[in-house]
Amino acid sequence: MRLGGIDTTSILGYAAPLAVEPGGQVAFHLSSDSLQKVDVTVVRVRCGDPDPAGPGLKLVPMASPVNGPRAVSHQPIRTGSCAVIADRPALRDLASFTVGCFLWPTLPGTAAQTILSRWRDDRQAGWRLGLDASGHLELAVGDGTGAVASARSARPVLAREWLFVCGSYDAATGQLAVHQISLDPQAGRDRSSHGLAKGGAGLAWPQDVPLVIAARCTGEALDAPRTAAHFDGKIDRPRLCRATLEPGAMRAQCERINPAPGDPDLLAAWDFSIDIPGLTVQDRSAHRLHGRLVQVPARGVTGANWDGTANDWRALPAHYGAIHFCADDMADCGWSADFTLDVPTDWPAGYYAVRLAATPADGDPVESYVGFFVRSPRARPAAKLAIVVPIATYLAYANGALRMDQVHAESMLEGLMVLSRDDLYLQAHREVGLSTYDTHADGSGWRVSGSRRPILNMRPRCNTFNYGNDTHLIDWLEEKGIDYDVVTDEDLHREGLAALRPYRCVMTLSHPEYYSREMWDALDSYQRAGGRHMYLGGNGFYWRIAFHRDLANVIEVRRDVTGVRTWEGEAGEAHLAFTGEAGGLWRSNGRAPQRLVGVGFDAQVFDRSAGYRRLPASHDPRAAWMFEGIGADEMIGNFGARNGGAAGLEIDRADPSLGSPPGMLLVASADRIGYGGMPAPEEFRTFHRGLDGEQNARVRADLVYFPTAQGGGVFSTGSIAWVTALSHNRYDNNVSRLMENVVRRFLDPAPLP
Amino acid sequence: MLNNDPDSAHYPIDASRRDLVEEFRRAPKGPHSRELQMVLHRLRWESPGGRYVLVTVEPGKRWVLGRLPGVRGAPVELMRNKTYESLAAAEWDVFKLRWEALTGQAIED
Ligand SMILES: [Fe+2]
Repeated sequence: MRLGGIDTTSILGYAAPLAVEPGGQVAFHLSSDSLQKVDVTVVRVRCGDPDPAGPGLKLVPMASPVNGPRAVSHQPIRTGSCAVIADRPALRDLASFTVGCFLWPTLPGTAAQTILSRWRDDRQAGWRLGLDASGHLELAVGDGTGAVASARSARPVLAREWLFVCGSYDAATGQLAVHQISLDPQAGRDRSSHGLAKGGAGLAWPQDVPLVIAARCTGEALDAPRTAAHFDGKIDRPRLCRATLEPGAMRAQCERINPAPGDPDLLAAWDFSIDIPGLTVQDRSAHRLHGRLVQVPARGVTGANWDGTANDWRALPAHYGAIHFCADDMADCGWSADFTLDVPTDWPAGYYAVRLAATPADGDPVESYVGFFVRSPRARPAAKLAIVVPIATYLAYANGALRMDQVHAESMLEGLMVLSRDDLYLQAHREVGLSTYDTHADGSGWRVSGSRRPILNMRPRCNTFNYGNDTHLIDWLEEKGIDYDVVTDEDLHREGLAALRPYRCVMTLSHPEYYSREMWDALDSYQRAGGRHMYLGGNGFYWRIAFHRDLANVIEVRRDVTGVRTWEGEAGEAHLAFTGEAGGLWRSNGRAPQRLVGVGFDAQVFDRSAGYRRLPASHDPRAAWMFEGIGADEMIGNFGARNGGAAGLEIDRADPSLGSPPGMLLVASADRIGYGGMPAPEEFRTFHRGLDGEQNARVRADLVYFPTAQGGGVFSTGSIAWVTALSHNRYDNNVSRLMENVVRRFLDPAPLP
Repeated sequence: MLNNDPDSAHYPIDASRRDLVEEFRRAPKGPHSRELQMVLHRLRWESPGGRYVLVTVEPGKRWVLGRLPGVRGAPVELMRNKTYESLAAAEWDVFKLRWEALTGQAIED
């Protein structure tokens, strides 16, 4: 497309793994549907934000054998989750059968969807139970010669209403039957109905075709099958029996939590409540027809029998025997790698990217990036300071398209939305998979986010929120010549305190919002053991998340009934499938951020940013050293690249009742936020006029410091916009001065005052 | 939920209040009077005439007007004859488009 400006999307890719030590390898998986060749350059990112109001784009090309022209091809993205059960003789030899489950469809009547199948589209062979394009239950059988017979129920199903569904085939007569029974059949909700049809008798089923739950095989690549006609919604307790059962008898099979494995009719009884964190589905029948899950669908979701007795799937797994599949689930594009970078041992740790450039004859110049990170060698930490790369935040926000799907963004910004080329791409290409702020096509929230797909907002030139803002800090460290190492928050999760122990001081960046228990514990024990922590952002330590135990760079988020949440999970689904822990806010989990870092999220302010005014505590000898070189009446940070102030976007405040330490000094505060300052919902219990930042002084950003045990300490700025003020006036400003005073003192081994 | 229905914005706009139009023209980024805040909320939330957005051509320098399709996966409609050299000019232009779509009365520059 020709628009003028730079084309950032005509080639896209992802790096695996996302973070690596020097000496390690990163593979780059690329795809372009318009370019045949690109120029590759590895760059180290000093500033990834081209906004002229900040430091500007600063990318350092690195010498590497992977640099140079490279042929590229188109690799498609195939979305949709499902369970795949490899073919077995018991499935092939099936004659008559009945298949059934409880079903909670979320997008019926839009396209054909498959519930359970052993079918290949290319030969129209096998059997499949599903919903047709108009939302009617359908069982189809095909003999591979093109003759397909199907029974279809008389009435379409209702969205978001549980049904029992089943279909049967009688091999002796060729009789096909489907039945659906609404579980709440009153007040206009009854869709119970059935359908009958005549198919061929004695059909033989195709060889080597896997049984698939929530999709069907196209017929290509049957060992890692391509699938189509994916299901949107929940499937609970699917069963397969080798006899023609009446609906009542089949429903009894599905109702049973512990089906009798010795039942000669029972061919498969999948129990999705077994190992909910895992990526396999288990069959309780004697045939053990276990399968594997594709594209990480949501587990730990309520089944048809859930009645509110438990809200935690660990307490009553039998009520959590469903999986919520989505036709747009996307955890791994599965692209083949184009090339592999051996990261030289002498490359400094930091933010990196490969630049993919081209000059097509019929479009704008292409300059697209794939971001990755080089963390410092575990065995050879070099600096006394480390920055913590917020992988979890980058994943949570990966490919956010929310503002294009909802109507509130312009009101929140108090101005027109400004879209980038990346946004134009996301609007038209939802198959790259969205962020945990978005909803799936069926309206359910995106709970899982991983990095094996292009992430448009985690690379140079991207929309500035998070990644771009964080690189303002890197630019400042480089400008000031302050040596730093790099660790990732996923290292904190997987390695605990060991990841931080080598460092005298660590910095968390502009928006460390998503924290697992392991990450929190690592940071907390670091602070308690004399560590120094500079929290340089806002809205930090807010949502409780988990990384997947087996999949690197994959997180899960559950949003429930509080917090600034762009969707809300179903009742009973607030616990993370990856671990069973409660999701939601850390504040609701007994750990308000104030306890860890003195301040915690209180408001969003996207229309303008403010400066901080000094408070009396800033003259206390325990804190006055921070303000050396700064006048007693100076406003701190009444400038900056994001809306003209260092206090803005998302802001935090101190609150003793939420755990701000008694030993804390509140040294400065930005409490003149204006009417664009919108408090977080957990900050008020009843709504009334007067809660916005123009009228309420508790809508504010606080700058705090407190000493911790063993000479350690914490400095928090409570604002996302903070780091974007550092480069103001060629780095000669009081935000930069204050930061320099603090980091130099935090790196001094003498115990903090 | 209150916050995602474009038709839920119903603050009545009095087309004779040209003082509010002037106030917006003078300072599109605000801060604005209470009355203008409510008018703007109506215009932005409901976005009569289509959900207008800007698309960056050159960061900080040039923008083109676009309209969201309202359907996921469909491309943003670009109105290539409407480009702006400043965000303030874009805000003013879109304000006029919406004011006219809602009140039936055009604002002459
Ligand atoms: Fe946030």
